[in-house]
Formats: sequence, structure tokens, C-alpha cells
Amino acid sequence: MDESEGVPKDFIKLKSEKLSVDEVSELVVSPCCGAVSLFIGTTRNNFEGKKVVHLEYEAYTSMAESEIKKICRDVRQKWPSIKHIAVHHRLGVVPITEASVIIAVSSPHRAESLEAVTYCINTLKASVPIWKKEIYEDEYSWKENKECFWANSKK
Amino acid sequence: QVSVLYFARSAELAGLRCETLRVPRQVTSLQLWEEIVKVHPRLAVIRDQVVFAVRQEYVLLGDQLLVLQPGDEVAVIPPISGG
Repeated sequence: MDESEGVPKDFIKLKSEKLSVDEVSELVVSPCCGAVSLFIGTTRNNFEGKKVVHLEYEAYTSMAESEIKKICRDVRQKWPSIKHIAVHHRLGVVPITEASVIIAVSSPHRAESLEAVTYCINTLKASVPIWKKEIYEDEYSWKENKECFWANSKK
Repeated sequence: QVSVLYFARSAELAGLRCETLRVPRQVTSLQLWEEIVKVHPRLAVIRDQVVFAVRQEYVLLGDQLLVLQPGDEVAVIPPISGG
């Protein structure tokens, strides 16, 4: 196998600009891979009957990046054939229908990348220090992922 | 002296995002929380819903003994909602 196929890489980015599905999928495409699986998290315009005007995200950036790196490491242990992993998360204001997170994974065959993408988003929601504020017309609310084990755990 | 970082709801309640605090070198995570609440009493309302991140590792509020070095980063972590 020649070097130009590249060593497996993790591409992790937290940024305030609009995310690009093309950019993220191109990062993981590889000649040895027959599958690229993608997850895109987009902003819904409603929550419990209230109109959501937009979302705002903030992050403990250095720890978020290291937690995402841990997720990538776990993915490679569980599915050793995975080639590249890309996780892009937007910070700051995210308008309705725009993407707040894009995850892309490449592998030689489709089963591994499909499973790995699911694992990535589920684990991200449970462990990465990023917070979402939903802005309604006249109030706002800090959201809590149900995957987060310290949310309302004792109530 | 450690750096304490506040995020999301805890930053709103504390009124700031970052400060240095003088704390004992050895302290349980619960004692550390109580030191922080002395400075920012409004944080008391979220006590049951936060964890710490000490040197970027999660720590529950409880009996766990922390050995802190000067300049260590401690973050107050309300329930997360990424993704």
C-alpha cells in the first residue's frame, strides 16, 4: 500500500463560520475506502410549541477538542478498519436549518463507518463540553442532553 | 491559586467566565464547590446539576480528593448540550 493513501487522520474543528458538508466529506475521502458515512445535526425551529429564533453554542474549547480526540481513539479501537474521521462543530449563533455539527467517517466497507458515525454523535452528546442555548421569541433556555449523566440526575 | 472557568448557566450565575481563586492544595471536590459558592452564592441553585473538570478530566462533586497545583485549570460544567 503506498504512502499517498495516507495514515488514518482525525480532523477536529470548532468554528463560528458556517459548516460545509462538502468540505467535511472531502476530508475523509480516501482511495482505499468504499464508504463515507455522514451525520449532520441541524437546528429545528420549534421546541414544545415555542418558536426557536436561533441557537447559540459555547464550548470549553480545549477540553472539547481533547474529548473529541478520545472519541476518535475509541472509534479506532472498536472499528479498526476506519480510515479518517472528521468532526466539525459550530460555535456562536447558528440560524434555523443550518448545521451545528457534521461528522464524517470513511472505511473500506459501509458497516463500520455507519456504526462509527452513530457512536460518535451519541458519545459527543454524552461527553463533550459544549453547551446550546435555544433562543425563543421572548426568552431562552440552556438545553441539557439526555445523554448527560449529571443533568437532573438526583431529581 | 487555580484558574476557575465558568460556562453556560454557571457563567450567567457567577457573572463572569474566568477568575483565579486561592484554594487549599488538597481539597475534596465538594469542598472546592463550597469555596466557589462562598464567592458566588448564586451558584448554589445548580449544585445538583454540575460537575467539575479538573485539568480537563471530569470530577463529580463529592469526596474525591483533588491535589491541585498552582495554575491548574478547574471548570464548572453544567449539563452539556453539544451536537
